[in-house]
Amino acid sequence: MFRLRSRAAGRLLLGLGLAVIVSALPTVASSAATEWAIVHDESRLGFEATQQGGRFEGRFEDFSADMRFSADDLAASRFDVTIATGSVNTGSSQRDANLPDAEWFNTDAFPEAYYVTREIRATPNGYEAVGDLTIRDNTHEVVLPFTWRTEGERAEMDGAVTIDRVRFGVGQGEWRDPSVAGHAVEVVVDLTLER
Amino acid sequence: MKIRNTRDGWGAGAQLLHWLIAAGIATAMLLGWIMVNLPNSATKFELYALHKSLGITILALVLLRMAWRWINVVPDMPGTLSPREQKLAGAGHMALYALMLLMPLSGYVLNSAANFPLNVFGLVQIPNLTPESETLADVASVMHLAFFWVLAAVLVAHIGAALRHHFVLHDDVLRRMLPVRRR
Repeated sequence: MFRLRSRAAGRLLLGLGLAVIVSALPTVASSAATEWAIVHDESRLGFEATQQGGRFEGRFEDFSADMRFSADDLAASRFDVTIATGSVNTGSSQRDANLPDAEWFNTDAFPEAYYVTREIRATPNGYEAVGDLTIRDNTHEVVLPFTWRTEGERAEMDGAVTIDRVRFGVGQGEWRDPSVAGHAVEVVVDLTLER
Repeated sequence: MKIRNTRDGWGAGAQLLHWLIAAGIATAMLLGWIMVNLPNSATKFELYALHKSLGITILALVLLRMAWRWINVVPDMPGTLSPREQKLAGAGHMALYALMLLMPLSGYVLNSAANFPLNVFGLVQIPNLTPESETLADVASVMHLAFFWVLAAVLVAHIGAALRHHFVLHDDVLRRMLPVRRR
């Protein structure tokens, strides 16, 4: 009787334990934001800048990112982006020949730039990422407003933010002059991701 | 003075275009010469931007001038010129028109092939003519410089001839391109 009882209690305990684990599972899953991989062929990490007052576009061909995002768990969402500065491509061989130089990205000394978020929050128009952008070892906070659209296993992220290239030491000496290249550079993030 | 040309004189429209373009060409040539010889500096790039803006403006003015010439009578050359001189003057003016087009066009192609943006006087950005090409940029660069020297030579002849007409031959050729009463 006692044995039977204890067996029943054991079953009950086991059942309870399982129930706890099972019921806890969705909680565990939602507390870790979804990990997303960038579909590079359909993504662009680019910028728009001005040269002698005229606008031109560029992009970084080589970048990688640890992207975690769930709309219902922004607290656990974060972006950790690494950009190979030497992969800059503005479609002009003359211009691109200068950009790796010491006055610009100084790719020998600083081959990588980083953007690491500290917080991602919802805004009336979408979201914004508060993070630290590091170029040439100059780190400044950059708030990137963006939209995020998840469709099935894929997602589209679009964002843009204007930064001051001079604060990051990009374009020094004679290149610091805004008539050569404007100080305002619009960074454009247009990513396709899949989980 | 009339706006339009007459058989024996240039109207105000043609004169205005002639002198605007003359001032533009002189400035663009001088700017071009100075800027390419400057070391990299903010001034150098400002001069480049100015030179390019001026070049595009001249191109537009030249097209306007050709259209104006097309819808106006072209004054006869003075009868004092021999047929050979008339032919030479005609060829010289033809060369000037060709160079006034080729000079800015080769610069525009050069800038396009380098895939540099072109914003005219900070007012309007005009599209590039060609895709990015280092080879094409090199060719256009050589042409732009070659046209510079040919234009310089033809301009020396043009100005020399105008002065000769005025001071040696004492005819109306220079005077009729000036807003003054004719003798």
